[in-house]
Amino acid sequence: MNGDDARGGNGTEGTPTDSELSARLRRLETQIERKRPQAAADPSTRPRTNGSSALGQAMTLSTEFVAGVIAGGILGWIVDHVFGTKPWGLIVLLMLGFVAGVYNVMRVSGFSGARPERRDRQEP
Amino acid sequence: MAVTIDPIEQFELKPLVSLGHIGHQQLAFTQSALYMFAAVGVIALITIVATSSRSIVPGRMQSLAEIFYEFIADTLHQATGDGGKRFMPLVFSLFMFVLILNLFGMIPYSFAVTSHLIVTFGLAALVISTVVIFGVMKHGTHFFGLFVPSGVPKPLLAILVPIEIISFISRPISLSVRLFANMLAGHIAMKIFAFFVVQLLLAGAWSVLSPLPLFLTIALTALEFLVAALQAYVFATLTAIYLNDALHPGH
Repeated sequence: MNGDDARGGNGTEGTPTDSELSARLRRLETQIERKRPQAAADPSTRPRTNGSSALGQAMTLSTEFVAGVIAGGILGWIVDHVFGTKPWGLIVLLMLGFVAGVYNVMRVSGFSGARPERRDRQEP
Repeated sequence: MAVTIDPIEQFELKPLVSLGHIGHQQLAFTQSALYMFAAVGVIALITIVATSSRSIVPGRMQSLAEIFYEFIADTLHQATGDGGKRFMPLVFSLFMFVLILNLFGMIPYSFAVTSHLIVTFGLAALVISTVVIFGVMKHGTHFFGLFVPSGVPKPLLAILVPIEIISFISRPISLSVRLFANMLAGHIAMKIFAFFVVQLLLAGAWSVLSPLPLFLTIALTALEFLVAALQAYVFATLTAIYLNDALHPGH
């Protein structure tokens, strides 16, 4: 009863509720906005959620890692062939490929959580 | 009686029509090519023929085609936003092609085309060259900003840029190897476990154990159907994600 009286006593009844409603709407919008980057970042982490089984995830992670090493190896072999730096291109780029493989795995498994977030902050 | 089996015999290419030679390499229309044509035929049946009536209340085939279309359209939209609509034909074709070929591989005595690395690598090369060509056409040199991570101190870039480039080159490799390895491993595992049934049946008293690998084979078959659909989906999703890099490069 008391609360009703207090509300009824407010002469400008329509405007406070209106502003209250719009405030609530704004709050909802900010909440949605806060949700949105997550939804946008979701595709980049897709492969992780896709492997519904642990086996699928293991397969994904291992291929990501092996692909990095293979790519480094191929690139090193090409560099050696083109520039005639026989063992060094392969050695250096194979190691970089190893790093790239670990990097791939970290990205797919979502271990490096900072990266997609950083990307979102910069896009707008 | 000794029964031997070669679990990778099923992946052998058999030339059906010889088209001549280049050097010592025979050019032939293999059963692999035949399966690919059959897959294209089935996809055409699902998409063109089934939707030709264009009824408002879809029939069985038409709703099947619509489910596939909506599914891929949703996936593409989630990954690339509105700008990705122009790639719908590419992603949809790739998804259907891989899906139908994977499912063809599940028919007994048939041949799984996607268990050949060169096929999957060809598809992955198509995807990645689309990404590079479209990215350069649309954004020019700005596209190569993809390889320069932002917010990193300058000296570190000397190490990080090569790593990013190698990581980018590894994409078509991982994309193709994932599909190829899944199909190859699944089909070999099914063959081996199915062969255990035969071997146990021939092993005298041990034959009481033969239902065990039989159940495992049945479970594996179900799993392989899941893998066939899942890998086609993963291929389409990753294609969409890579195309997103071409549309919006630079992180």
